Amino acid sequence: MSHAAEFDEYGHKDHGHVIVSVFTLRFILIALLFCTLLTSGSAWAETAIAATFHVEIPQWINAFVALSIAVVKTALVVGFFMQLKYDNPMNTIIFVFTLLTVASFLGFTSLDLGNRDTIDRFKNVYAYPGGNGLDGGGTGIVFQSQINGVGKPAPHGEVEEKKVDESQDITHMGYLPEEPELGSSRNRSRPVMGITISTLPGYRSPAAADEGHAPAENLAPSKDHRPEPARPSDDHKPGAAETKGEPKH
Amino acid sequence: MSSSHAHSAHPPSAVEDLSKPLHERYHAASHFKDREHEFDSVKMGVWLFLATEILLFSGMFCAYFIFRLMHPEAFIGGGHHLEVKWGLINTIVLLMSSYWVAAAVRHAQTGNQKWLQINIILTFFAGAAFLFIKFFFEYWHKIQVGLLPGKFYHYTGHADPYEPMWWGVYWGATGIHASHVIVGMGLFAWLYFRSRKGHFGPGHYNAVEGVGLYWHIVDIVWIFLFPLLYLIH
Repeated sequence: MSHAAEFDEYGHKDHGHVIVSVFTLRFILIALLFCTLLTSGSAWAETAIAATFHVEIPQWINAFVALSIAVVKTALVVGFFMQLKYDNPMNTIIFVFTLLTVASFLGFTSLDLGNRDTIDRFKNVYAYPGGNGLDGGGTGIVFQSQINGVGKPAPHGEVEEKKVDESQDITHMGYLPEEPELGSSRNRSRPVMGITISTLPGYRSPAAADEGHAPAENLAPSKDHRPEPARPSDDHKPGAAETKGEPKH
Repeated sequence: MSSSHAHSAHPPSAVEDLSKPLHERYHAASHFKDREHEFDSVKMGVWLFLATEILLFSGMFCAYFIFRLMHPEAFIGGGHHLEVKWGLINTIVLLMSSYWVAAAVRHAQTGNQKWLQINIILTFFAGAAFLFIKFFFEYWHKIQVGLLPGKFYHYTGHADPYEPMWWGVYWGATGIHASHVIVGMGLFAWLYFRSRKGHFGPGHYNAVEGVGLYWHIVDIVWIFLFPLLYLIH
């Protein structure tokens, strides 16, 4: 019944219609079901082992095992059920090319995700985590900062802080604006002490900052590099208030 | 079948042997050289369509990837609302249906009309079972307690503030997958009525092959969705 043994008028084997044997199909089905139980079983076993022996299994192991089994299952389905193993190689090329496209898609996304801080640090002293979709949906990273700029708090008023290392101070030197302008998202990228910044979400008072990550010291490179004239509400810093007050007495 | 030129696209002779089944009397469309040419072209066309399907779902996988990296706690918390049991049963249902489709193609190739129809029906009902489990045991409960995407989210229990993101990914990915299952069921109903008329046989089964390939891709998407949504925690 199979056409694989037949030769066409040019003496080539007819590779068009291969009839996969019943045995192969059933074997593949059993292998797929086995892999399914394996992947569920390994997820269950990881939880059980972690609970029994009080160890913490890193999440990447869990993800790696589950996705590896999924890749094996996909290879079985594509190769035998979809008959790519026996098929015109052009179809395999289309499939592999699609996978490469997906890989570059995910790859460039992760490059962007992993490097925003290093490329655009000046704007990412505060990194906006984006909306959570509750606020009418679709408040993305950029749009979120615009909303904050006109004084409307973020859905949960949360702004994540990122630590700034020494090298960032150098990055800042050429970029910091001379005059901070309120109402622009640009000002959200660094704390501007002493101006009515406390109305903006994400502001932490110096008192709170002393206990926490101390953004006041870390995030204000302008203090070190460019001494600025006394600012209106510097008086909440004990030292600043005293020095300002002395000449008047 | 031994010589493909017997089925060339030249106009059929006026006297056609009507006692032959439809699939043997089938002539390739006039822009194809013969049935083989048509079969290869149709199959490649289906593969190109499947490439776009893979890219469609890769967008969802990319969203999962980004939001999982940004809000891992929300994804772990959201994943605990899903029952592995139903995901596992649905995976087995889809794998069985994939086998039935592959068997249907085999029966079309060998001309076994009875089992061709039985396999098509089995696949149709496997799709129905998948959707029943999905809607009745999973979606329904989540709709009732408010575990919905984006602004529709109104769950009152304890949850990470970014959990609506997880539900957006969950509903987006499984919803688009389920809509593919519905389309697939429609295609299998169409195949069933055509197979009852004897449209498919060893010489002509393009539609069975094409719909089968589509169904396998739907299965493969679920093969990835199952561990990503239900198992990784």
